[in-house]
Amino acid sequence: MAEKSGQCLCGAVKFRATPKTGEMGVCHCAMCQRWAGGVFMAVSCGDQVAIEDETHLGVYVSSEWGDRCFCRICGSTLFWRMRDGTNVAVAAPAFDDMDGLAFAEEIFIDEKPALYAFANDTKKHTGDEMRAQLEAHLKKESAS
Amino acid sequence: MTKKTGQCLCGAVKFEAVPKTDEVGVCHCSMCRRNNAGPFFAIDCGDTLVFEDEADVGVYDSSDWAQRGFCRQCGSSLFWRLKNQPMSAVAVDAFDDLDGLRFTHEVFIDEKPDYYSFAEKTQQMTGQQVFDMVAADQNAH
Repeated sequence: MAEKSGQCLCGAVKFRATPKTGEMGVCHCAMCQRWAGGVFMAVSCGDQVAIEDETHLGVYVSSEWGDRCFCRICGSTLFWRMRDGTNVAVAAPAFDDMDGLAFAEEIFIDEKPALYAFANDTKKHTGDEMRAQLEAHLKKESAS
Repeated sequence: MTKKTGQCLCGAVKFEAVPKTDEVGVCHCSMCRRNNAGPFFAIDCGDTLVFEDEADVGVYDSSDWAQRGFCRQCGSSLFWRLKNQPMSAVAVDAFDDLDGLRFTHEVFIDEKPDYYSFAEKTQQMTGQQVFDMVAADQNAH
């Protein structure tokens, strides 16, 4: 896809990123919910994310393999990224436009609270499926 | 409702609050979505939000009338509150449990993008309807 620009709510963190595909996903895991005040809507951008100025970028190491990035000034939720640098999931609403992106996938569907459900027809993956995918990825990375 | 406890993802910010009702609302406004990586799930806790320690509570003035709170350590979304009234809408997912809560309304529905919708039947209000309701409420006091 074409490169997109984006920023946090206050504008202290600006970035450019290139989505890998036209698919936006939603993560329902308990960590994302607690972190993002609800669902985390994100677009996978691989390693194609350039941050204009990292002065105000907060980074929280939330697991062995993942970092969560936010703006220290306005608290905006910005990225979940693999600590090995292979993938950055960019918060979709931080992009200046959603042109060419569609809501295609919901992950950690087994951790979604009963409180809400999306009406959209999406591919759904459980936490176990995601953890298996992650393990396969980490094995491949350590072998290469 | 009874008092609930909550915290951010890293645990640096812990709090207690008493939801005024069991009604959870979602805000679709563009500011909430940009701030929270999607719609903001919140519940009105009036003036009952109390932090154990405010050292790591970041506060951002997002408009003339309101502020947004987050954890300075992990960036978790915590609340949206009015400046001139003791009203805090607490991030529902920061609570330790969602027991007894129902998703009943959606606000700023006119700012909801087309790419997602919720399946629940809720009361829906536009941004203007919300502003009108707040103004009427203030006049009544």
